[in-house]
Order: sequence, then structure tokens, then C-alpha cells
Amino acid sequence: MAGPPEQAPAPGLRYAFGSVLSFFILLLIGVFAFSIRLFSVIKYESVIHEFDPYFNYRVTQFLTKNGIYDFWNWFDDRTWYPLGRVIGGTVYPGLTLTAGTIWWLLNSLNIPLSVETVCVFTAPIFSAFAAWATYLLTKEVKGAGAGLTAAALLAMVPSYISRSVAGSYDNEAVAIFALIFTFYLYIKTLNTGSLFYATLNAIAYFYMVCSWGGYTFIINLIPMHALLCIVTGRYSSRLYVAYAPLVVLGTLLAALVPVVGFNAVMTSEHFASFLVFIIIHVVALVDYIKGSLSPKMFKVAVTLVVSVGLAVCFAVVAVLVALVASSPTMGWSGRSLSLLDPTYASKYIPIIASVSEHQPPTWPSYFMDINVLAFLVPAGIIACFLPLSDASSFVVLYIVTSVYFSGVMVRLMLVLAPAACIMSGIALSEAFDVFTRSIKFQLPGLSGNSEVNAGDGSSSTVVAQNDAAKTDKREDTLKDRPSRKNKKKEKEKEHVEKAPVKSKVKRLLVLPLEASVVALLLIVLLGAFYVVHCVWAAAEAYSAPSIVLTSHSHDGLHVFDDFREAYAWLSHNTDVDDKVASWWDYGYQTTAMANRTVIVDNNTWNNTHIATVGTAMSSPEKAAWEIFNSLDVKYVLVVFGGLVGYPSDDINKFLWMVRIGGGVFPHIKEPDYLRDGQYRIDSQATPTMLNCLMYKLSYYRFVETDGKAFDRVRRTEIGKKYFKLTHFDEVFTTHHWMVRIYKLRPPKNRIRGKTKKPKSKGSSTTSSKRGGTRKKNPWH
Amino acid sequence: MAPSSTAATAQTSSMDPIFHILKIVPYSFLTPPRLRLKLPSFSLPSPMTVFALILLTYFMVVSGIVYDVIVEPPGIGSTQDPVTGSVRPVVFLPGRVNGQYIIEGLSSGFMFVLGGVGIILMDLALEKNRAKTVKVFSIH
Repeated sequence: MAGPPEQAPAPGLRYAFGSVLSFFILLLIGVFAFSIRLFSVIKYESVIHEFDPYFNYRVTQFLTKNGIYDFWNWFDDRTWYPLGRVIGGTVYPGLTLTAGTIWWLLNSLNIPLSVETVCVFTAPIFSAFAAWATYLLTKEVKGAGAGLTAAALLAMVPSYISRSVAGSYDNEAVAIFALIFTFYLYIKTLNTGSLFYATLNAIAYFYMVCSWGGYTFIINLIPMHALLCIVTGRYSSRLYVAYAPLVVLGTLLAALVPVVGFNAVMTSEHFASFLVFIIIHVVALVDYIKGSLSPKMFKVAVTLVVSVGLAVCFAVVAVLVALVASSPTMGWSGRSLSLLDPTYASKYIPIIASVSEHQPPTWPSYFMDINVLAFLVPAGIIACFLPLSDASSFVVLYIVTSVYFSGVMVRLMLVLAPAACIMSGIALSEAFDVFTRSIKFQLPGLSGNSEVNAGDGSSSTVVAQNDAAKTDKREDTLKDRPSRKNKKKEKEKEHVEKAPVKSKVKRLLVLPLEASVVALLLIVLLGAFYVVHCVWAAAEAYSAPSIVLTSHSHDGLHVFDDFREAYAWLSHNTDVDDKVASWWDYGYQTTAMANRTVIVDNNTWNNTHIATVGTAMSSPEKAAWEIFNSLDVKYVLVVFGGLVGYPSDDINKFLWMVRIGGGVFPHIKEPDYLRDGQYRIDSQATPTMLNCLMYKLSYYRFVETDGKAFDRVRRTEIGKKYFKLTHFDEVFTTHHWMVRIYKLRPPKNRIRGKTKKPKSKGSSTTSSKRGGTRKKNPWH
Repeated sequence: MAPSSTAATAQTSSMDPIFHILKIVPYSFLTPPRLRLKLPSFSLPSPMTVFALILLTYFMVVSGIVYDVIVEPPGIGSTQDPVTGSVRPVVFLPGRVNGQYIIEGLSSGFMFVLGGVGIILMDLALEKNRAKTVKVFSIH
């Protein structure tokens, strides 16, 4: 983009043309990022997907109806019955406040969009913003060309699409934009040293804290980078301005968010920032004093400071160790600890281990999610090393840490995606640079201009000494370049003859012409494959709303809308105050769509409550009825996929019910349900399994469907086919038998057989005699 | 954390407070032993070393090593040929995206790194300070 300063209007025109072109390219990138995420709206409808977004949608509905003060103080009693949940203090408000603001803005302009529409389309809009933020960030690191490439790559990277498709109304949709924007402002402050950008950086960090729990990544990465800069001798006043205000302002702002509160100064996740804060102040002080003291005085001063510093350090470390050692997880939260030690979750917290997003990824996950970028990342890393600047060292650190974290948890591939796009954008831009330069300076028509243009900062080198030897070497290298065709050799000989005549002083670093043309075409082909894969992934793999399922059969498209059917039945046929028990996966959807109180939901904050429900599902009917009755449950909801072959049903999740229940209630023992180490429901199943509530509620009357009770998911006939339910009544089964709802039978009025009290045999006759003369204690 | 000077200049100007304390407490009346110790000097690794480490980490992570450590799949799968009864190896885990065998993961990680290194070699071929043979090798 740097034009030669020879003629005044030409560079101005080139600049103008360049900026208009890049503006239009950015606009197109934004439109593309928005439209590639609309596949699910086109294929299905404008509906909210999955499970978590339903909770966010319900919270946004509450916000738009009741206003922000009621939202902060909201105590939700429709979930985690009878415990309830403090919404104001346990929800990251960024997403809901953003969508609420957009809705309020549009409605005040008299554009009557419903809350659902705004929620569905928030993610694509913010992904366009994220692509623009990537452009800004990469432009700070390497230049505008790399910026445009990186933005184009981020607009379509499948990993980001999977979490920000239209309808996926989840925290990451907004948080990734906040992440990239915060990093951009940090790099901008680092490059310019301006306090204005430092303040903006703190405000962007505040937005990130509001939006996602992943903000701890920022507050650990930036201190690591500051430490790296100090250690490699790159300390400067710009680094101080970039780092110190962020820590102070950022921590204060982070403490304002109710979810974080005092965690911002008390949990181990934030200690790195304070430690580096102290270190950077020490370094700044040393730097300042060094300039104003003589060397001997400086050494005396340093000795004094070091001795005082050691004493203070011991005190602080003692306090820290006491604070940290007093908590069993050393101050880290369970999720953060499972990142640092991947085996931690499976040993101690089975709930975290059971979520499929928390499994470690395999290599197909990498190829699926970042595709071609996986090849380009190492090349980008090298391009960042030549030359190494503050900004490029930051990006290298970002990619290394995000690669490690993505290796631990599939869900964090999302944090790897922007880093991979930046690196690949840099690599592609450099590669394009090299190839187009090779072509430009070797095209026959243009070689006349090549000498003039060669002096203006392109890849030629000015050789001061020993020109003859150098040109000889260059001739040798030109000749040695692989030229299997005679034509190439002749062309090179032409260059060799022409070149010593024209530019004895300058030497061009170029590749052979044919090689560069072929390589350029191959890189464009690589980009084409990437685009094809991304569009395929967006259309086929990541656009499923999970609330509606489809399958293609020989007679067309079958749509399975059973979930919404069941929730609608619940909302129309039960009382408003009835409690519904189901496995925690369906809690958010039940509260949002059926508007009924649930016992456990996807927040999974109370392990004992979930274990209670899990125990109830694994116990025989009577015990389960007792547990559910004690929780005031009226209806039990079970998801069953055996008739249609839906693999994510409750029988497949049963092992987690047993494990989590068994973790809290020791009378549930997993080996009771296993035959040969496997959970089986066929004739080889254990009697405990055949008697448990989950089995009975899933397979009640299943034999009436095809006479043989063949379960399509487990691919076998079930063990116990004919049985009656003693404590539950079936009230609803959806069209494809996917959701089954049962009602608890009320307790009997009369109890047959012996009563509970053992001494009633003798005392019943005596008490009836003396009934009139003695007052009966009502509590006995 | 505390930059202390080497033993040679320790006598006159040390920045280490513990050295000063030691000078007074036992060694004002005891003679210090003659040692030929040298403090280890701390120098930053060269960029190429750092890059090699990064590339190694990238290779390990992209091969799915964390999955291998936690789930412990077999190194390579095997099927039995129904006709002859011989056991044939199966390289790719069929049917799932979220599973792999160990060797499958390592070879795919190697392919990823190979692609990146190829582009790096192209760039290295342009550098003027390399020997002729290395450049030829890189272009080839």
C-alpha cells in the first residue's frame, strides 16, 4: 500500500482507491458474516436453538417487560424448586442487556420487532462486528492487507459459526466480539501509548466481563504478555500505559458486575494480574532511578530496595498461601481447574465431565472447525517472528495459550478461532505478497519498471560491498533454481543477462515466475476449498436448532416437532403452579416454553439437587414416588428415542443419573445396573435396571407400537415388555413417542395392612375405651 | 527476581542484601572458602528455539494428545476379516467425529504441521544469508 513518493497525485489516488476498496471489502465481509449464519432460519424457522439460549431468551423477556431495576433484583422461583435462583447475581448480563437495548432502540424508533426476532438475530450482527474487530486488530499487528484477510477468514470460520448461528442466543455470540475488541484496544494502546485508548480498553474489558465467564482468559493473557515484554527487554512507557490502567480500572469495573463481585480480587484467577502489576511497577521504578543515579549509588539503592522488597514479599506470599490453601481447590473454580488439569473433572466433578462440550477434541474436530487454518498457523507464527514487535509477540502468545486450552476442551476451540484467523491472515497475506512481487518483477512487460520500483521498500536488498561477488552468487542462485523445462532456463538466462546491466547494486529476492504463478493459483484454490467447507459446515452441520429434528426418508422430509408439542401440552393442560421433574437438560426449555416450575435445570449449580432427581430416576417406583412427592412434583417428563432412533434420549443419559446420584446417595451403586460393564435394557439387563423408574417410564406400553418392542437406538428388544405402573399415570405421549409425560398418583386415603406404629395392636382398644376421658396429644 | 552480581565483583558492590548479611555474621571472623563457582548466566533462548518449541506444542495438541491421555484409545484399531479370519488393522475410527486412535491423531497432526512448514520453507528460500545448497533444497 506504500506508494512511491515520486509524483504527488499518483500516491494520493492510490491511497484513496485503496481505502475505498478496503471499505467496500469490509462491508462485504460484514454482509457475508451475517448471511452465512442464516441457514437455519431459511431451513427451519426463526426459532431459538438448543437449551441455554432459552434461558437467556426468558431473561430477556423479563427484562423487556419489567425494566432493568426489577431485572437486577429478580429472584426466580420457577426453577430449582424449592430453592429458587437469584437471577440478578448469577447471570452474566451482557448478552441480555445488549439484546434488550437493541429491542428498546428499535421499538423507540417505531420498528416493532418482537423480542424473539431480536434475540435470534443478535448473534449474526455481532459476528459481523467481530470480523471488523479482527480487521482492526490484525491491521495493528501486520498491516491492512493481513487485516482484510483475517477478517474474511473469521467471517466464515466454522468454529465461530457453530456458536453464533442465527438462533443461537448464547453468551459467546457477544463475547467473542468483546474479546477481539478488547485485544485490539490493548494493542492499539501498546502501539500508541495513548491514555485515551487505555480507558477505552478498560471499558471494553468491562463489557467482556459482563458477557462471559471466559473473561479470565483476558485478565491472564494480558499480564502474561506484559511479563513477556519485560523479560525480553521490551519494557517501555507504552507498556506501562497499556497495562496499569487496565488492571486498576478493569478490576474496579469487573467488581461492579454482580456475578463477579468480590471474586475479582479474591479468586486465584485474577492474582496473575496483581502480581504483574507489582512487577511492572518495580521495573518502572528501577528504570526511573537508574537514569538519575550514579552506578555506585544505584547499587546501594537496589540493595536497600531488594532487602525491603524481600521482606514485604514474604509477608504477601504468606498471606496468599494462607488464603489459597484454605480453599480445597486452591482458590480456583472447578471449571478453571479442569482446564489446567484435564483429568480433574472426571475424578471429582462428574457433572462437568458429562457435558459433551467439555471433552477433549480429536484431530477431526480441528479439521472440521478451523479447516485449512490449521496448516497456515505455523506459517503465521514465523511471519510474526520476522520482525518481532510488541504486537506480534502478543499474537504469538495468544495463539499458543489458546491452542493449549482448545486441546483440553472442545468448547474452547471458539477462543482458538480468532487467533487462528489472525495467524492465517498474516501468513496468507505474506504469501500473496511474495508471489505477486515475484510475478510483478519478472513479467516481461514490467521489467522495465522493475528497477525504478525496486528501490522503494519492496523486497530488494541494497548490497554495499563486493558487488561483483554478490552478482555472481545471484547468477548462480538464479541458475540453480529448479528449472526442469528449457524455457525456464532461457528466461532466467535473460534475466541474468539483463539484470547485471540494469541493477548491479540492487538484488531482487524473488521466486521463479512459473512457480509463483502456480503457487498463487494453488493458494487461491486452498481458499476456495476453505470457503466451500465453511459454507457446507454452516448449512449442514451447525444449523440444527435441536428443538426441531428432521430426517430424510424415501418419501420426503420428516419433521419431528415433539419437544414443542410436549411443552405446549404442558402449558395448556396443567395448572400454573404445577411442578415438573425431568433430567436437567430440559429445564431451561420447560421453564421458557411450557412456563412451569422445574426442579433442576441446565445451570447445574446444585449437585445434590441433581443427584436427588438422578436417584429418583434410578430407584424403583415406590421410592421414586416418595422422593418426587417430597419435592411437590406433579409431573415427570421423560425423553425417549427408541421409536424413531433419536440417540440423545434419557436412557442413553442414564449412566450420568446413576453416577451423579451415586455420588451423593451411596445406596445407588453403579454395578447394580451393569451387565458385563455395560448398561443394557434387553433380556440380559439386571433386575435393578428393569425395575428402575427410568426404564419403566420410557418403555411403558412400548410393546403396543410394533408388537416386539424393538428399541431402535439400542438396536435390541427390551427385557421387560408387559408391566403396569403402580404410582404413576401416563398423561401424554407425543406423536413420535419422543417425550412422555407422567403424573404422580395422589397418595391413597386408606392404607391396607399393618400401620406404621408397632404398639398400635395393644393400645388401639385401650385408647378407644378411654377416648372420651383423656385429651389426645395431636402430635403423637 | 533479585539481580545479584558475580563473585568477582562481589567484594565492593553487591546488590544482594543476603550477601551483605553473610559478610558480617559468620564471615567477618571466619575466612570464606575459596570456591570456583560461577553464577549461571541467564540468557533468553534464540527465536528459532522458541519457534521450535511452539511448533512442537502445536503438533502435540492438534494430534489430540489430551484426548489420548484421558480416553486412552488403542493405538490402532483392528477388524477381523469375516472370510479368512485374519486380523486387519483399521487406521481411522469409523463413524464418529469426536473419537480417534492414537496413531491416526499423530499422523494427522504431522500432516497439519507439514503444510505449515512447507510455506515456511518457501519463505526461507528467499533469505539471502542461507547457503546455496539449503536454498536449492528449500525450493525443491
